[in-house]
Amino acid sequence: MSKKNSDNKFSFRKYAMKQFKHNKPAYVSVYILLFFSVIAIFAPILANEKPLYIHYKGEHFFPAFSFKNNYYINNADGSSEKIQLDIADWKQMQFDKVVWAPIPYTPGKSDRLNSGYKSPGGEQFFKDKSGAVVPIPGRFRHILGTGSRGDDLMAGLIHGARISLTIGFISMAIATLIGLFLGSMAGYFGDNKLTTSRGRFWMVVLGIFVAWFYGFQARQFVLQEAIKTSGFTLLLQLLFSIIIVVAIIFLFSQLGRLVGKLPWLNNKVNIPVDGLVSRTIEIFHSMPTFILILTIAAIARPSLTNIMIIIGLTSWTGIARLTRAEFLRIRNLEYIQAARSLGYNEYTIMFKHALPNGMAPALVSIAFGIASAILVESSLSFLGIGVPSDVVTWGSLVNDGREKFSAWWLVTYPGLAIFITVTVYNLIGEGLRDALDPKQKR
Amino acid sequence: MGRYLLKRILFFIPTLIIISLLAFIISINAPGDPLDRMVSAQESGGEFSTQTANTAKEKERWRKKLGLDLPVFYVSLSNAATPDTLYKVYDDNERTALKRLISQYGNWENIAAWNNQLHTLSTAINMMIPDTSNFAVYGKNVVLDTIIEAKQNIGILMYSYEDAQIQLRLNTLTHYAATYPYFAPVKEQILKTKTLYEQLTSEKQLAKTWLPAIHFYGHNQYHRWIFGDGNWLTGKGSVDCKGLVRGDFGYSYETKLPVGNVIGDRIKWSLFFALTSVILAYLISLPIGIKAAANKNSPFDKTSSVILFVLYAMPTFWVATILLMSFANVEALHIFPASGIQPVTGIPDDANWLTTIKLRLPYLILPAIAFTYSQLAFLSRITRVSTLEIIAQDYIRTARAKGLSEHTVIYKHAFRNALLPIITVFSNIFPMAISGSVILETIFTIPGMGEQVFHAITTKDYPVIIDVFTLTGILTLLGYLVADILYAVADPRISYASK
Repeated sequence: MSKKNSDNKFSFRKYAMKQFKHNKPAYVSVYILLFFSVIAIFAPILANEKPLYIHYKGEHFFPAFSFKNNYYINNADGSSEKIQLDIADWKQMQFDKVVWAPIPYTPGKSDRLNSGYKSPGGEQFFKDKSGAVVPIPGRFRHILGTGSRGDDLMAGLIHGARISLTIGFISMAIATLIGLFLGSMAGYFGDNKLTTSRGRFWMVVLGIFVAWFYGFQARQFVLQEAIKTSGFTLLLQLLFSIIIVVAIIFLFSQLGRLVGKLPWLNNKVNIPVDGLVSRTIEIFHSMPTFILILTIAAIARPSLTNIMIIIGLTSWTGIARLTRAEFLRIRNLEYIQAARSLGYNEYTIMFKHALPNGMAPALVSIAFGIASAILVESSLSFLGIGVPSDVVTWGSLVNDGREKFSAWWLVTYPGLAIFITVTVYNLIGEGLRDALDPKQKR
Repeated sequence: MGRYLLKRILFFIPTLIIISLLAFIISINAPGDPLDRMVSAQESGGEFSTQTANTAKEKERWRKKLGLDLPVFYVSLSNAATPDTLYKVYDDNERTALKRLISQYGNWENIAAWNNQLHTLSTAINMMIPDTSNFAVYGKNVVLDTIIEAKQNIGILMYSYEDAQIQLRLNTLTHYAATYPYFAPVKEQILKTKTLYEQLTSEKQLAKTWLPAIHFYGHNQYHRWIFGDGNWLTGKGSVDCKGLVRGDFGYSYETKLPVGNVIGDRIKWSLFFALTSVILAYLISLPIGIKAAANKNSPFDKTSSVILFVLYAMPTFWVATILLMSFANVEALHIFPASGIQPVTGIPDDANWLTTIKLRLPYLILPAIAFTYSQLAFLSRITRVSTLEIIAQDYIRTARAKGLSEHTVIYKHAFRNALLPIITVFSNIFPMAISGSVILETIFTIPGMGEQVFHAITTKDYPVIIDVFTLTGILTLLGYLVADILYAVADPRISYASK
């Protein structure tokens, strides 16, 4: 980018930024979102039953930041004491000094004294250090009330923010990758710009089959074992499979280049990228996506990663459509033709020169997409499908509240949290659309 | 027009194939054997041994009835060592064990021999009745326990593929054969099993496992699901399944009834709510949207926009729960019942339609509000935007210029054209009716399709799920087609004739 002479040149990016700032609701939304993100990032420090810091028998500990399972403390008489971090009853222990997290509760952990839906303003109980049950001191109040098992609602909300934002972000990251790639391919090459020799085409088709066999079929048991061991092993093995697939397809493509020199096989064939991608988008549009997500979530092992992947794989169509339309326009612009006449590789032009300019409309779709991903996730966890039962999310909190209608706090606060997040993303989306649309020029 | 429609309908075919394939892939990847759930031992009654025999027979019958005895798909890609008849091993665990053995050793002849030998041994040991004279020597418990243990070991061997595991089980068996004389009838067989395993491990043919092989199957589960088990075109000769193309949806795993019956029972409620809510939403949102557009930037426009924007972002399940909490709550306002669609006592048989409506109405109001709400915001926004676009056009200016009242201009000239985008929404009714609103129907316990889908998902009743999924796909496509035709009817300028 030429920075020096930017003052006498019109910069669309700066213009769009200015337009966006004019849109007050959208601009405020960005700050609300930032605030939510900070809460999400620091959730384990903001709401944790483990103290942030304790001074105990002459030693300093930071239980909330610790990855250990146990602390071994040597007493003065030579005996040693063991504290199990996950089950220790921190609130009953006598410390020399202690710093609690702002919300001294972990989401989903039951508090037997306050079980059975205790309202925010009502009577709550606490076991003091002598073991007597007393009215709860202000520091340890469940400020937004509790759920059926006495689990703290505020802690659930804070950790739920982390889950909702992560799901929205990662699933749309997956969708964006797919959508941008397919959309730009479709728009840039259209139906008759991507040509190759007949020989190479069929070699690549063959290569895909062979690559599938060696990458996945021949390794199916290795992959199955990996699923059972851990997420990291699975990722590693998947990566290995993908490397095999890519290598084999590349090999076949290179072989195809040679084969493509033979007579008859050297005829040119068209690959109708646009047609293929558009058809795929139409197919996705005629599928009941929510039922598809529900079904897959019900079959697969309940896990947040699965949900992110499923939502990502089903919500890329909007991004692809907009990117395609933008690329149809861009591919005829002078700078693309200039790049082509300079002899740049088509993919370099496409991803390095055209994509940064073709991404703007997709941004709008991404913002709306995150909003709907959060809605889908909360609906899923409300129905209790696909989300592990021990994970507390905004949707599962509302579901807990559904069991008892008088527990208004369990329905109201998580619902508000979902509502605000979704609204914020929608407002940002609208703001982006207005800012990026030259027709709205003021 | 005709040619365009034909083209559209032809394009349905690949889309439907892909949707049905997707549904099929999901259902065959579902864990667990449906037959285990459908046929349980208790149902057949009688002695334990006859129970197991009956169960096996019953399973065999259902396997044939559901077509689970067929290969999965038209083609299968596997390594060259795998035979094309492996699908005939019905037990999932046993088939997996065989596949694993193939990938470890690659010599199918030996593996098949080993597997057959295990079955022979299993039958032999089941037939074996120890001489009671052994009871005195070894004690009755020991005799019976060792025999049961041996049977279990053979069972485990059929599911095993790890060398250490197999060796361990084989050693136990040979140890029994060597120690206890009452194992004499099967001693030969046990030793033979051991030799076969040694042969299996020593004669590896690993090269074959690294070569791909494709097998083709004409008659398979997917083909049967779509075309039935008779002639695929005419449907003649079909016994258990006429195929999806002839409206046969197969059997539910849960109720063992045809899925078509289940759908038929349920669809009326979903259809009712889909229609009611769309009509109500139109009645409310059209005036709002048009009025907002006609008075752009007026206070009405601004407030309605904000309210609709807020409504748009509220999760449906939350609104429904809040509705229930406020109006069906014993501790707050208890105006409406909390669930179901009729009184628990049911509707008396002699009730006329007026009484029926009177009895049912309180149950229908809250769901209707929730269903309507979910479409309201979207519809109003669309109406407003499309009316705004129309109002900016020249013919509206002309209409105004010739002195027509604002009311006539908006409602006579602009309204009709603003209706166009709304047709799109109308075309969504059919798919909505078949898949229902899973969330709303579950919250209000309405016996519609959505609730059925939710139930099917929790009970893993895959035939219901994949049929609903496929049907919704078909109806969505039909909805698009209807919308296209309606467009052409409503707006003469739209023509689908090829230029």
